[in-house]
Amino acid sequence: MSLKRDDESDQSLYANLDKSTVLQEARVFNETPINARKCRATLTKILYLIYQSERLQTKEATETFFSITKLFQSQDIPLRQAVYLLIKELSTVAEDVIMVTASLSKDLTAKSEISKANAIRALCKITDASMIQGIERFLKQAIVDKNHAISSAALVSSLHLFGNSKDVVRRWANEVQESVNSKGGITQYHALGLLYQIRQHDRMAVIKLVQSLSRGTLRSPLAYCMLVRYTAKIMDEEEGNRAMYESLEGWLRHRNEMVVYEAARAICNMRDVTPKELFPAVSALQLMLVFAAIRTLNKLALSNPASVAPCNLDMENLITDTNRSIATYAITTLLKTGNEASVDRLMKQITGFMSEISDDFKIIVVDAIRSLCLKFPAKQGVMINFLSNILRDEGGYEFKRSIVEAIFDIIYHIPEAKEYALSHLCEFIEDCEFTKLAVRILHLLGVEGPKSATPSKFIRYIYNRIILENATVKAAAVSAMGHFAVEVPELRERIRVLLTRALDDNDDEVRDRETFSWPTLENGLVNYLAHPELQRAPFDIAAIPTVTRCVAAPGSADAQRAYAAAMEKIPELAMLGDIFKSSKPVELTESETEYVVSFNCRNTINDVVLENVSVAMTVEATTTSSQPTCHWREPWRPSTRIRCPRNIYVVYKRNSNVTPVATFGNTLKFVVKDCDPATGEADEEGYEDEYLLEDLELTTADYIQPTFVSDFGRTWEQVGQQHEMVEAFELSAITSVKDAVTKIIDILGMEACDGSYSVKDKATTHTLLLAGMFVGGIGALVRCRMAYDASSGVTLEIACRCEDPEVCERIVNSIV
Amino acid sequence: MGLWSSFLTSLGIIKRKVNILLVGLDNAGKSTIINGLKVSAVPQTEVVPTVGFNVETFSTQHRLTFTVFDMSGQGKYRDLWEYYYPDVEAIVFVIDASDKIRACVARDELETMLQNKVLRDRKIPILFFANKMDVEGGMSPSECSGALGLEEIKDRNWTICATNGITGQGVGVGLDWLAEELKY
Ligand SMILES: Nc1nc2c(ncn2[C@@H]2O[C@H](COP(=O)(O)OP(=O)(O)O)[C@@H](O)[C@H]2O)c(=O)[nH]1
Ligand SMILES: [Mg+2]
Repeated sequence: MSLKRDDESDQSLYANLDKSTVLQEARVFNETPINARKCRATLTKILYLIYQSERLQTKEATETFFSITKLFQSQDIPLRQAVYLLIKELSTVAEDVIMVTASLSKDLTAKSEISKANAIRALCKITDASMIQGIERFLKQAIVDKNHAISSAALVSSLHLFGNSKDVVRRWANEVQESVNSKGGITQYHALGLLYQIRQHDRMAVIKLVQSLSRGTLRSPLAYCMLVRYTAKIMDEEEGNRAMYESLEGWLRHRNEMVVYEAARAICNMRDVTPKELFPAVSALQLMLVFAAIRTLNKLALSNPASVAPCNLDMENLITDTNRSIATYAITTLLKTGNEASVDRLMKQITGFMSEISDDFKIIVVDAIRSLCLKFPAKQGVMINFLSNILRDEGGYEFKRSIVEAIFDIIYHIPEAKEYALSHLCEFIEDCEFTKLAVRILHLLGVEGPKSATPSKFIRYIYNRIILENATVKAAAVSAMGHFAVEVPELRERIRVLLTRALDDNDDEVRDRETFSWPTLENGLVNYLAHPELQRAPFDIAAIPTVTRCVAAPGSADAQRAYAAAMEKIPELAMLGDIFKSSKPVELTESETEYVVSFNCRNTINDVVLENVSVAMTVEATTTSSQPTCHWREPWRPSTRIRCPRNIYVVYKRNSNVTPVATFGNTLKFVVKDCDPATGEADEEGYEDEYLLEDLELTTADYIQPTFVSDFGRTWEQVGQQHEMVEAFELSAITSVKDAVTKIIDILGMEACDGSYSVKDKATTHTLLLAGMFVGGIGALVRCRMAYDASSGVTLEIACRCEDPEVCERIVNSIV
Repeated sequence: MGLWSSFLTSLGIIKRKVNILLVGLDNAGKSTIINGLKVSAVPQTEVVPTVGFNVETFSTQHRLTFTVFDMSGQGKYRDLWEYYYPDVEAIVFVIDASDKIRACVARDELETMLQNKVLRDRKIPILFFANKMDVEGGMSPSECSGALGLEEIKDRNWTICATNGITGQGVGVGLDWLAEELKY
């Protein structure tokens, strides 16, 4: 009765509740005798507030908590229920909540079974790990209670307690096992869940559990669903495990649809599932075709479209479903499984209700279209139109990102679509609220724009960004402009003017631009502008190396600049000219020893940077007969404080036009002087000592500078086959294509082009495209085709095109 | 209380409800005493230390219904007694007469209680039980009174009686006194 009344007056009662007023009202809990009805109403209000995310302060919560403890004197069962609910809510905010332990424990022995069940839940909420032993006895009893409400309350509570008190809860495994066989469905379900938690990390025990239950002792469909999931998990943990496939397939014929679905989904998600294994699962899903089933089929359609295709007819009936979520899945599934002819019709259908579905579903649509484009390149026109239309719609970042990525994909994979797609992106950045996307698009414009038929048309869009946007976007726009300047000679003058204007911008943005790296170009420009005598000649952009590494790995570029700056300060080294290449640092000692020396190799004329006192280098092995001579630079000779790192530069002069591969033996020489530990002052006298360092190798890679070639294919053809050298190798020690790619890039020290550094984990074939510049300005291109096979490892065919046959040979042979 | 029910109560037709706070150090025998008073008293085989508090309700011959808040006496809960001071009409303080060592702790707790702002304003009566009278060598009520400094309580009514929580001996005498105190 009273409940009904509350329902009707819901609006007025709960509409404008104010926390402090309600908490004032809580005084009624302290009255004697207790007015149960009034108290219940107030409790409901407090609960309502809490459920509406109203936060109580600790003090408020504690006071409220203690006033509700007084309600334990009432035997009114509905009131007690409300008290339990509020205790549970306050248990995390109020202090001293264990105060009600005794009272709740007493309720566990009460006659009312519903009170008992709820008391268990409240009790477990207020109990902490130190108190759990005190209630252990009650819980163990409750787990095996005949009343399902009580046993399931105890099981669920134990599940919550398990997190903090694993060892205690594990002791109840026998009781839990017993209740798995309980007659109550919900009890079975909860017991199975808890038993799994307890055994989870004992694989054999889990397998035994699953096997014993697979024989059909369970009644609860929910418990069966759990069983299906555990089974799937066991199978998934071991590649190719199909021992339990039969169980899964058996459950496809379960009388409860929920179990059938769960089993079908488990089969669809099996790793490396075969069409034969999929067949019964897809048939089962086809029979139900509820939302979940369609979603599963939709996902499956990505990897196994052929297996899903038999459902196409049924799917067709759903594309006009009033439930837009179902319709979205149906259409996108059909897009993935269908043929080219149906694309237009489906696209039209989906355009009709794009505005009615949520971002999440829009993303599903976009993803479907993305894969479709790659499948039917001929349809790219329809797709790009569709994508650019929805790009203009309202939508969140994730949605916009998915569209932009889809367009990126199209640009990379469908050359004919490139120009058109780029122009859509240009329009998008004119009014794009997401900085991240604008930056990515500008970068892409910088890379792809110069290669298009009319690069000039992009300049206006990009320059607008420099004027109108925030610093981050501005910086990206400057970078993009730089790309155009480098690659399109006709535009250089125009860009120079525009960029010069940009240089007048305030400091903030210049700094940002620098962090976003076009430092080389910018430095060049600054230099050019600063020296009027240089301006008599046009700005020679070819002198600016087009190193894109700094975009990909700013760290290495920073390091390179730091080395350059350090070396410029030493006149003798500055005399040698610009750094051609800084090789990766090599550790020459174990890092625990005191003399950590890092090594940098410099290559116009090779010099070696070392830290600490002095280093004697001797050539141990070299490929050329001409013995390189070593020159010593010892900028300073510290007498103490070896831990303080300093650089020692060793210059190794190579005879002109010889680029030997060599191994250097290195000895660190120093004078040891004992220090007075108290004053830190060194003794006058010392003794000479030396320390043998690891050998240092000078390899071909040290003579190659990674360079970026924007259109590898074209350049490759330009160099031509007459300058090509091909070799094949078996890299039996390498166990995957991915590894091989990393190693080859490492060995050759060249730049991977056209995104060919990215390899799927399990790929068995791959083509890696590399570009670099050999010392002396000799450009070299490398194409590595590789195939992996478990028996022989990776087979590599390396082809190098370079106008200098010697370099060509060097590169090809440096693989071994 | 509604008008009608207070009328009935004054005629003695329904019993008046009285809230009582039961305090004292842990192990003094509070829960044992309450168990003995319950109508349906199932003889308890063992008393477990009370974690927090318990509420028990029972009737007496004095036309009263006592609702007793049996508090835990363990150190960490003693600060929480005060939450109940505002809404009780009497306090029962149980002293373990066999525990001379902790008599001074009991005295401290009593003093803290009496200094509480709420209780300073509310001159509700206090009934002391010198419990475990059966234990040999225990303190007599007057020794307890001396050990806890009860004579210094001048601003409210109090009394002390010797009790045995297990047999219930002496408890009735104390409750008679309390009922008299709580009469209108
Ligand atoms: N000998 C004796 N033991 C008692 C008496 N009253 C209580 N006890 C025992 O004292 C212990 C503590 O009792 P309990 O009621 O839990 O004390 P509480 O902490 O004050 O609630 C129990 O073992 C009781 O059996 C009594 O009058 N005489
Ligand atoms: Mg007790």
